[in-house]
Amino acid sequence: MNRTLAICLLLAATPVVSSAPAQTQKPALAKISLKVGDVAPDFTLLSDQWKNVRLSDYRGKKNVLLAIYVLAFTEG
Amino acid sequence: MDSPAANAAFAKQINIKFPLLSDMNKKMLTAYGVLKGYDVENQTYQWAQRANIVIDKKGIIQHIEEGDGAVDPNTAMSVCTDLHKKQAAK
Repeated sequence: MNRTLAICLLLAATPVVSSAPAQTQKPALAKISLKVGDVAPDFTLLSDQWKNVRLSDYRGKKNVLLAIYVLAFTEG
Repeated sequence: MDSPAANAAFAKQINIKFPLLSDMNKKMLTAYGVLKGYDVENQTYQWAQRANIVIDKKGIIQHIEEGDGAVDPNTAMSVCTDLHKKQAAK
């Protein structure tokens, strides 16, 4: 773990504005759009310390484990 | 939406030392294609699905787990460990 940066993204549900016609459509189910061998898209996100963390800051320095999950304080 | 403040409280509670990030505007989740839509009572809600992604030092994705397979991080951690060993051997 000391050589690998683990980053977790905690995300809660937020309603998406949906109009009446949109309700008749099946929402697009996510299928992760990336595959092994792809370049990971760069991002900048706020950490729990209120500091920007950029994926590219670790380029050439550390391997990164991104663990994406939904809600803090839950097992989800 | 979990804010950095909520994440800080969570990090303290479970005593973790790595960054917890908030994707408040879902830009990263959209770019990575991990948002999933759910219809509940005629409203569409978007949640991130569980995913573990290992990215090497060059920024290349080396491993992806999603859905129920991503709940346990141990496999992804093993991938990281193996990756590090391979890099160290070079």
